[in-house]
Amino acid sequence: MTEAAQETKTTSEDWEPKIVAFCCNWCSYAGADLAGTSRIQYPPNARIIRVNCTGRIDPEFILAALDMGADGVLVSGCHPGDCHYTSGNLKMRARWALIKRAVEQAGIDPRRIRLQWASASEAQIFADGVTLLTEQVRKLGPLRGQWR
Amino acid sequence: MTEPVSVAMGQGSSCWGCYQSLVDIHLRLADVLPKLDIKFWACVADFKHKDLESYPDGSIAVGFYEGVARTEEDLHLLKTMRKKCKTLIAFGSCSCFGGIPGLANFYDIEDALKVKFKDNKTVSGGQVPTENVPPFEPVIRPNSDYVDFDIYLPGCPPTSDLIFTAVSALLEGKEIELPPYAVCHYCNREKKETPIPEILRPYEGVADPDRCLLEQGYVCLGSATWGLCEGQCVNRGATCRGCFGPVPPISQDQGAAGVGMLGTYAPIEPDKILEKCKDPLGMFWRFSYPSSHLGRIRIRREEAKTK
Ligand code: SF4
Ligand code: SF4
Ligand code: SF4
Ligand code: FES
Repeated sequence: MTEAAQETKTTSEDWEPKIVAFCCNWCSYAGADLAGTSRIQYPPNARIIRVNCTGRIDPEFILAALDMGADGVLVSGCHPGDCHYTSGNLKMRARWALIKRAVEQAGIDPRRIRLQWASASEAQIFADGVTLLTEQVRKLGPLRGQWR
Repeated sequence: MTEPVSVAMGQGSSCWGCYQSLVDIHLRLADVLPKLDIKFWACVADFKHKDLESYPDGSIAVGFYEGVARTEEDLHLLKTMRKKCKTLIAFGSCSCFGGIPGLANFYDIEDALKVKFKDNKTVSGGQVPTENVPPFEPVIRPNSDYVDFDIYLPGCPPTSDLIFTAVSALLEGKEIELPPYAVCHYCNREKKETPIPEILRPYEGVADPDRCLLEQGYVCLGSATWGLCEGQCVNRGATCRGCFGPVPPISQDQGAAGVGMLGTYAPIEPDKILEKCKDPLGMFWRFSYPSSHLGRIRIRREEAKTK
């Protein structure tokens, strides 16, 4: 197996990581909202997509996002045990294990994707997760056309 | 008797299993063959490319293309088939989705050449052949990137029954009807929609013959797979490995659907899953990697190297 996509040597000045963030309605989306109303600073790179539950996230959403131009994907949901629909996040967690390994096998650096748990009151945790992923992806460079 | 229908049978890089399956319609061949006017079938008779090239464009009624475009010659044949045939059929999962030969895209071409030729364990001083053989394409793209198909007939291989049904319809000038159901639809096992506490490898335990294999912990891709085989493995005791590709619309990502379904049934700790699914890319995308999202990203990466 060849190495995962290498860190990019040249990153054009004005390139900004594009991050797609899937947030569940009941915890992380509310957490993101609170981050906003509490004026917590975090990078503007994440495009947040609200879903009812992380269990509703078809693995294809994540892979299609990467295929269609996202440089990183964040999935943020309720803590295990706290899912509004009981076990949606446990299903996501199981899928995630397989997605993450498959992504790596396909030659994509798995640091481009991140699964996190952030409740409605954990605005800071949500914001920190976005910051961490954005900076990680910034170091890796754009997903497209940087493989030479 | 009506005029025989002109057909051309093309073969790219493949295992010949699909044409074997066609030949396996056995005695029914006696009904079918006289109705076919075979214009090109290089793997059973001494046809050359120039024979196919010599026909006027669009003059052959139906073309079958088995396999992928691994070499420049495969690609040339694929494009010629498209030009000469009115109806072109992507024959088998290789041709529809990239299939087994598409797994070569797990590696870059240099690594693949090393395994196959240079460091091949069964030869010493291995060399990549360059004389009298066509050059390799740097990566396997799905055939549909190069040409438009009129019909996709997946399967690794398509069953003889499916081929017979399809060919009979073509001969009668009817549309081929391909029911859009998943393998589960044809599976006789009882399903109770119960979560599973652990994942089992096929050699572990003894499966209950009457209950859904997935619900017993075995990774069965029936729900993510087009059921044109009518569930031949699951009804005989083996899990479905997904050889007919995604359920229509076939542009869906079959591997992603399989992963989604496994997560639904096995909401267990990640370590326990990975211990039994060490190679998710090979397990869930075995037959459709080049045409999947991850496969597309990989293809772009490989092509960037050659530019
Ligand atoms: S689809 Fe399967 S049986 Fe047909 S040529 Fe490809 S590998 Fe062989
Ligand atoms: S998952 Fe497999 S065993 Fe279960 S119903 Fe579907 S095809 Fe049958
Ligand atoms: S049951 Fe699955 S693996 Fe078996 S022939 Fe059908 S699609 Fe292929
Ligand atoms: S509702 Fe938040 S993960 Fe299910």
